[in-house]
This record gives sequence, C-alpha cells and structure tokens, in this order.
Amino acid sequence: MKILKTYLFFLLCTPLYAENQEIILIKNATIMTAMEAGILKDTDLLINNGLIAEVGQNLEYNGAFVIDASNHFITPGLIAPQSMIGIQEIELETETRDDSSHYFSSGFSIIDAFNPSSALIPYNRTGGITTAIVSPSSGNHIFSGMASAFKLDGKLTEEAIGENVAMIMSFGGSEDSRASKMLMLKDSIIKAKNYHKSRSQIMRGGYFDFGNYTPRDLEAILRLIGREIPLIIRVNRARDMLRMIRFSNENKIEIIFSGAKEAWRIADKIAIESIPVILDPMDNIPSSFDSIAARMDNAVILNNAGVKLLITSQVTHNSYLSRQGAGNAVAYGLPEHEALKALTINVATVFGLSESIGSIEVGKDADILIWNGHPLEVSSFTKEIYIDGKNIDTLTRSQMLRDRYLKRLGLD
Amino acid sequence: MKSILENKVWIVLIFISLNISSQPAYSKSESDLINQAYQSTYKPIASPRILIKNANILTGTGELIESSSILIENNKIVSLGNDDADDAEIIDAKGKWITPGIIDIHSHMGVYPAPSLRGNSDGNEATSPVTPHVWAEHSVWTQDPQFTLALKGGVTTFHVLPGSANLFGGRGVTLKNIRSVTVQGMKFPNAPYTLKMACGENPKRVYGNRESEPSTRMGNVAGYRDAWIDAQHYMEQMALNDASNLEDDSNDDQESFKRDLKMETLSGVLRGEILIQNHCYRGEEMAVMMDIAKEFNYKVTAFHHAIEAYKVADLLAENGVCAAMWADWWGFKNEAYDMVWENVAMVDQALNANGCAIVHSDSAVGIQHLNQEASKARSAGLRAGLNISKARAIRWITINPAKALGIADRVGSLEVGKMADLVIWDGDPFSTFTKAERVFIDGHLSFDATSDNSFIRTDFDLGIIEPGRDRL
Repeated sequence: MKILKTYLFFLLCTPLYAENQEIILIKNATIMTAMEAGILKDTDLLINNGLIAEVGQNLEYNGAFVIDASNHFITPGLIAPQSMIGIQEIELETETRDDSSHYFSSGFSIIDAFNPSSALIPYNRTGGITTAIVSPSSGNHIFSGMASAFKLDGKLTEEAIGENVAMIMSFGGSEDSRASKMLMLKDSIIKAKNYHKSRSQIMRGGYFDFGNYTPRDLEAILRLIGREIPLIIRVNRARDMLRMIRFSNENKIEIIFSGAKEAWRIADKIAIESIPVILDPMDNIPSSFDSIAARMDNAVILNNAGVKLLITSQVTHNSYLSRQGAGNAVAYGLPEHEALKALTINVATVFGLSESIGSIEVGKDADILIWNGHPLEVSSFTKEIYIDGKNIDTLTRSQMLRDRYLKRLGLD
Repeated sequence: MKSILENKVWIVLIFISLNISSQPAYSKSESDLINQAYQSTYKPIASPRILIKNANILTGTGELIESSSILIENNKIVSLGNDDADDAEIIDAKGKWITPGIIDIHSHMGVYPAPSLRGNSDGNEATSPVTPHVWAEHSVWTQDPQFTLALKGGVTTFHVLPGSANLFGGRGVTLKNIRSVTVQGMKFPNAPYTLKMACGENPKRVYGNRESEPSTRMGNVAGYRDAWIDAQHYMEQMALNDASNLEDDSNDDQESFKRDLKMETLSGVLRGEILIQNHCYRGEEMAVMMDIAKEFNYKVTAFHHAIEAYKVADLLAENGVCAAMWADWWGFKNEAYDMVWENVAMVDQALNANGCAIVHSDSAVGIQHLNQEASKARSAGLRAGLNISKARAIRWITINPAKALGIADRVGSLEVGKMADLVIWDGDPFSTFTKAERVFIDGHLSFDATSDNSFIRTDFDLGIIEPGRDRL
C-alpha cells in the first residue's frame, strides 16, 4: 500500500505550509500553463528539487507532500516587466531611492542597489509577482541605465537571475527638442564606435574625448550595437516610434517599446518589425501631446496585429496590479490566454529568461501561484506561492498591521 | 431588515452633519451676498418613460434585488420591482446589473485636465498656505477629455477639489457628468459647497521648501487654528455690524464692513453650510483634526486618502466622520506607508458596522474603474473575515459619497423620487471583466457602449488625432 501524506489543504483555517518539502504534488488543479497547452483542467503538478518535474493527470509519487487544489487555478509566477521593486522604498524620500544615477547614464546598473528586504517585495509577491525586471527610472540623460532580473523570494543573499538584461532610454517631448535627443542618440552610437576603435590606445593612455560619457557608459552602448541586449524605449507618440524604428534598423539595434500609448496607430508596422511592447492597458489618458491618441483597447489592437505584449502597472509599489490591467484588456477583447502570456512567458522570453521561468513546463523553475479564484479577477488573490519549489509565506507587513487593528477594533 | 437599520443611521448622521452651530448669524445669506451668482444652470434634458427589466439591481440602500425592474420617467425614478408600465420603452437587461450612478468624491478632473500642460494646470493655488477664498469651479476646464472616460466608467457625479498643497486649499465643487460649455451648466443643483483642507506632508513640504511656515506638522496645526480664530473674529465683527445697523440705519460714522472671501468660506464652515473634505493620511493626525473641529465647533465631513483610517476607525464612526480611501495605493510618500488592503472594509465595519467608508479615485484612470476598486476592497475584507455583501459594498461608491457631499437626498441610491442616475452593467460590477453598458443621467441616456454616437464628445476630442478623426 502506498503511503500518501494527504492534507485537506484548503479546508483548514491555518494553512499548513509545505515548508522544506522537496517533493510536492499538487492535485486536481486548473493549470493555466501560459504555453501552447493552454488551460489544463483536473491536472496534477509535481514539484521536485525546485523544478516542475511532471504535469499530467493522476500523477502519484511516493512520499510526496500532497496538496488538493480542486477548484483552484494555478499560474506561473507573474513577472513584472518594468518595476523599481527593491530599489525604491518611498517615492518622495530620495535616500530610499536607488533608481537613478547622477553620474552614469547608459552604463548605470542597478544590481548593487537591490534590497531583498524591501517591504515592497512581500506585498508584490503576495499579489503574484515572483520575478521583477528591476529597471532604473527616467532621469535627465537620454539613457537611464540597465535593468536586471531578480526573483522576489526575499533572501538576503539574493543574486540577479539576469544581469543587465536591457538598456532603457526615453524619447519624447521635454525641455529639449526630440530632434535634439535623436541627434544625441546617434552621436552616442558614433562615440561608442570610436571608443571601440581606439580602445587599445586608450588603455595605453591615449587621449579620448569622452564628453558626457564614462568608459562604462560606452561599453554598455557597445553591448547594444552588438545586439547583446535590447533597448527599451519609453515612448508614446506614434510618429516617435516610427523614427525609433528607423534608428534601430540603421544601427541594427533590438528595440522594445514601453508606454506606447499610440502604438495601436502603427500596430502592423510594430508587428512586422517584431518589436515587443510593454504597456499598461488601463492607461488611456491623453496625458500629454505625445499620447493624444491613447485608448483603452490599445492592447487588443496590438495583439490582433500580432505584436508580443508585456503587461506592466504604472506604479512600482503595486506592480502586481499588472494583473488588473490584464483583466481589463480581456474585458476589451484580449484573449485570456494572451493576457496571461503578457504577464509571464512573454516577459521571460523578451528578457532571455524563458529557459527557467515564465510558464508551467517540465524542467522549469517551480515558480507557481495557487489562486483563490480566476487569476485575472480583481477579487481574486494568491493562496499559495512557490518560488523555486519552496512555499513562500504569504504574510506581509500589511497583514500584520491589519491583524493588530482588527483586534483593537474588536473585528477579529 | 439590515438596510432599514442602516438608513436610520444615515438619517442620524445627516442630522449631525447639518448641525447648526451657535455662532452669530449673518444678516444676509451667502447667496444674497453674491447676488445669486455662480449658481447651477443645469437643467436636465426631458427624458422618456423607460422600463428596464430582468436586471440584478444593487439599490445602494443595502439591497440586491435579483431579476427585477426599474421604471424611470421625467428625470426621476418612478418605481422599482413593478413590471407593468404602459407605453414605456422597454430595455431587457437579463443577466445584467444595475447600480446607482457612480459618485467619485475625490477628483481633480477639470482643474488638472488632460493633456497636462502648464497652461491648464489650475488645481493648487500654492502661493500661500491659507487660500479658502479660491473656488475649484473657477479653474474647471469644461472640455477635459477625462470627463468622458469617467462617464464610460459609469460616473454620473464627481466632486472636484483643489489640490493639497495648502492647509486650506479652497472650495470644492460637485458636478454632474454632463457636457456643458459652462461650469455652471455642470454644477449639481444646490449641492453644498465644500472646503478642502490638507494635513501632513504636502503643505509642510511645499512651504517648508520655501523656508516659510508651515514646515512641520505642528506648524500645520497652528495654521489651521489661527485661521479659525480669524473666522470667529470675523463672525463676531459681522454680528456687531449687523446689530449697530439695526440700532441706527442712518449711522454714517461707522466704518463700512468689508467682505472677506477667505472669511466667507471659513465662516460658512462654522455655520455648518460648507462641508469639510480633509486630505489626511495618518491616524493621529485625523484625531488632531477632529479636536480642532471640536475647539471651533465645526464638523469634519470626510477624511480623504485616509491610509491609516483603519487605525482610528472606531473614533471616526463615533464622530460620524466618513473616510474616503483607495483600495490599495501606498508608498508614494512616508505618510502612505502603512497601507492595509482591508482599510475600507475595516472602516465600514467599525462600531457594529456603523462606519462610513467611501472608495475614491483621485485619479483619471481610477475613476473609470471605481467598481473594480470597490471589488478589491471588498475581497480584501472577505479575506480578513469581514463578511461584506456586494449590496453593502456598492454603497462605498454611491450613497456614502453622496452623503458626504450633502446630496444623498437626490442621488446615490435607487429609490422612488430620486434623480434617475443609473448604470446598466453588462455583468456583475464586482468583476474585472464587466463594463458599463449604458449610463443614464437624470433619465437621459448619456452613454451607450453599443453606439459610437451615444455620447457628446468634448471639444478637445474632436478631430484631435487628425482632421475628421475624433479621439474617442
């Protein structure tokens, strides 16, 4: 007789965490894979050694910790495609912020600033984000620096799972003409190429006019030209996007649009050029003359044209609200499957992380969420969170404050 | 039964909010003083007799009536649950839901319009910390494209406030979400004026950065108290002036009494005519603000943003003060750090479910999805074991804000005789996948999702993408 440690997991008031369990078998779930397989009903998932070991029906495993997830949805952990989680604690308190540099531009890397103990991490993890592409904010320089990918399990010893995976710049209306910015951008490429040519002489002490750049900045631009990393362009106006497409083709640089409120106007062009788009589907405000044509169904129109979407939330503290944005995109016609992909596998693919995260597939990291309802409903929330196969406590500081005052108010 | 009980509580609270203080009376009302100027010129469009059938109706009075009907005519709600309506236009709303028109108590649309430009950014008179003399309605740009977006989200009434740079930011204005060239044409008829006050970081940051007062929270409080003392003095002078005028009409020696716009607003609050809408995040600050109200004998109607309202929820309920909150915003400044997802639900449930909770937006995006914000707040409450029905939660964005704006006798719930402001949703409004399908304002179909020509575009939206191509 097989001995199965079975728990009526979800019926208990106090959750029993599968802490330190190497082998976990989740039974009878509705699994949204974010892959071609789509949604698998009444399906089991085996976690072994931190990885997804098996997905299928009627799985059994001797000695596994068994969780009954009947009537529950499972998705891959969500990935925030553009966030300052871990590098910004309080927006208006400068000393709590590490998201910009006065000194570096393209070469600025946020890696050394990441704080795994930030209060934002448990909040966003409980909201479903298990990995964040931590990105610098837009500063004075045309380049903001480079983004890195971090898992949000809160370990003090956390290392990036993707170092300097993309460079970020902004393009659009500001004090200086956008035409002037384009010239600066072109000049930066020339400068980097010249630097590359004279690198050996510079090493030997030869003179080089770095201008506003440091060697580190120019090295980073060389990575762009070498197509080692993509360039995320924060841009909204359709015409600006067309100019950036021209620039990227001339310089053979891979680009990603972010913001992209008017992208729907050139959806076919963006699709032909295979440019991924990071957007917040709920941001339909014509907040400047760069985004006059903003509209609620931007995501739907882009998807219909074949554009790869990555869904973000505008606000770092609530990066997990990307899920609400995805749900709203569905309300306006985006297929549910595409909406989930825009929160998971599309992000992983664009940032070169899809070998390990972004979907429910055998061999990938067991970054898994069990939901108490449909994952794209605002009324739903995570019930269980696994990162690398480890059950992560859903407790947050918010919950502790809540419980203290529920008690004080006599509402507990 | 529960809904009846709740109504009683409301009536009591409304009385409290209209509490006439024992201050000396003006000889002239403000409307006389200003010669009836600035009044609402809004007249509802004649509306047909419409029967909406088979809908799930969230009344805003605490009830959910399944598969029922509502009859509207002549701008008003005529009956509920009565299917016999001769000659009425019939809308079959099977599977759909009806709520009262959504009301946002905290908006800066019109005073911070889109697109955001230096030329139209008119929400903060941040030149002095005490500006109760400015009125938000005098800044409103009536062609803000954000109005239409809010309408598509089911918002029929919204309250436009000055910003929070100042201790006293100025008067707010309650508007109907209808298109008009004039702001008077949008003003909610006879809605009381409100006064925006602000606690905490914003005033002390704005003026502290200029090396002027206030630069601390204690500086803020001294500033409020000084202004109320001025207002008390003004009212005393006014009363003395009235008395001496009565004694001797021909007294030419006395100095003529000069009107003071700042004092007119503040004395309006002290007379109970103008409702305080107080931007305030921290629990202890709300308690201090309620003490200031006690010192000067006025009432705080609602705390706005109120991130820490859950810490003083019992105090708020005891004092009949509402809290207008977000479902989940936090962390943008230090006083917004202690957010709990259950804030709205905890305020609602305080003191045996006698709290007054409001979900507000303060955002042109959020105002389009207040139903989703209410849903997030409700489900957080459910997770914490606070069993709040949809019928109750819908009040956070309908009758409760109406109450705090002093217009609950006319909007905020679906009751016979009230303005026919209502939304037909294509499903359960607590679902992300649900959208407002039709929006009625005073019985007039103001937006219909199935027709591009169902709503009036703002001037801004016309041909702005390219000639002949409207924005929406």
